[in-house]
Amino acid sequence: MDVEDLLNDVVSMDDLKKFENEYHKQLTTGTVSQETKFHYAWCLVRSNYPADIRKGLILLEQLVKHEASDDDAKRNYLYYLALGNSRIKEYSIALSFIKGFLHLQPENMQAKNLMLIIQKKMEADAHKGMAIAGALTLGLSAVVGIGFALTKNLKK
Amino acid sequence: MDPSVLTTLKILLIGQSGVGKSCLLCRFTDDTFNIDNAVTIGVDFKMKKITVDNNNIKLALWDTAGQERFRTLTPNYYRDGQGAILVYDVSNRESFTCLETWISELKTYSTKTDIIKMVVGNKIDQERQVTRDEGIAFARRHQTLFIETSAKTKEGVYMAFEELVRKILNTPSLWEKVEDANVVRCNDGNSSISEQKYCYC
Repeated sequence: MDVEDLLNDVVSMDDLKKFENEYHKQLTTGTVSQETKFHYAWCLVRSNYPADIRKGLILLEQLVKHEASDDDAKRNYLYYLALGNSRIKEYSIALSFIKGFLHLQPENMQAKNLMLIIQKKMEADAHKGMAIAGALTLGLSAVVGIGFALTKNLKK
Repeated sequence: MDPSVLTTLKILLIGQSGVGKSCLLCRFTDDTFNIDNAVTIGVDFKMKKITVDNNNIKLALWDTAGQERFRTLTPNYYRDGQGAILVYDVSNRESFTCLETWISELKTYSTKTDIIKMVVGNKIDQERQVTRDEGIAFARRHQTLFIETSAKTKEGVYMAFEELVRKILNTPSLWEKVEDANVVRCNDGNSSISEQKYCYC
């Protein structure tokens, strides 16, 4: 595995299954502990499948909104909300979560680094978008140009 | 992969919360030190290139949280680790005592049986509760490398990582790819080990 940054860190299927089982076992009893939910969500947001990541994000949002027992717990949930959203390329949402984190703890280096990664990805995405738009414009003008040339020819 | 890079090594940082794992890493990768460094969330990751004995090596450094609430998930990162740095704080005896637990956890979860372990006594700029001899004795008992450091004053930090990498490189079974095993390797300047004993010609 050649990981270049945190966003490439993928959970093993065994771990995902293990923590999923634990979560479902508790679900059947009626109460899921904050810890179990977080562990499962932590695995989900590091999955290769966007559907898993989205599921993890829902759990983390529940945790941060209703269950966070202290600022430390809240901080952890916000961090993984930012990470999960980055992994499905929802960069602006990711950015808002990491900013929320930095509001709680402005000097946290780990969060600052994640923000840098997100901003870099956003920039790369914007460049890609611009390149596509540029190519489209070029293509379009070529079509229009050919059209003009053709009509000119027809008129002759 | 960059052809000038011999290999990428996975290194883990393990130990009780507050012993200075993240500070050691920051000192090594960015040469910075932040005394108010917050506790690590889950696992952090840093990449660093170093040159050891004329070999360019890429290090994938995994900094695990020491906090109890992350203990269930961090061992999953031990998988495929080629080197592990077990950190304790020389000014905190408890962090030294619980190294036994960390070492046995590492044995349970690491997939490479010959993973190179290094015990690091950090914070030597502070008043000691653990002597250097005790640290050495522990390392000897568990057959690990040993070094004392201060992330604050830089002392020993770079040397710790360098020594660990050197020991991993001296254990080709840890990092040489399987498909390379039958290939005759010769010394060809910067892309192979400089010492003669690693040449299989």
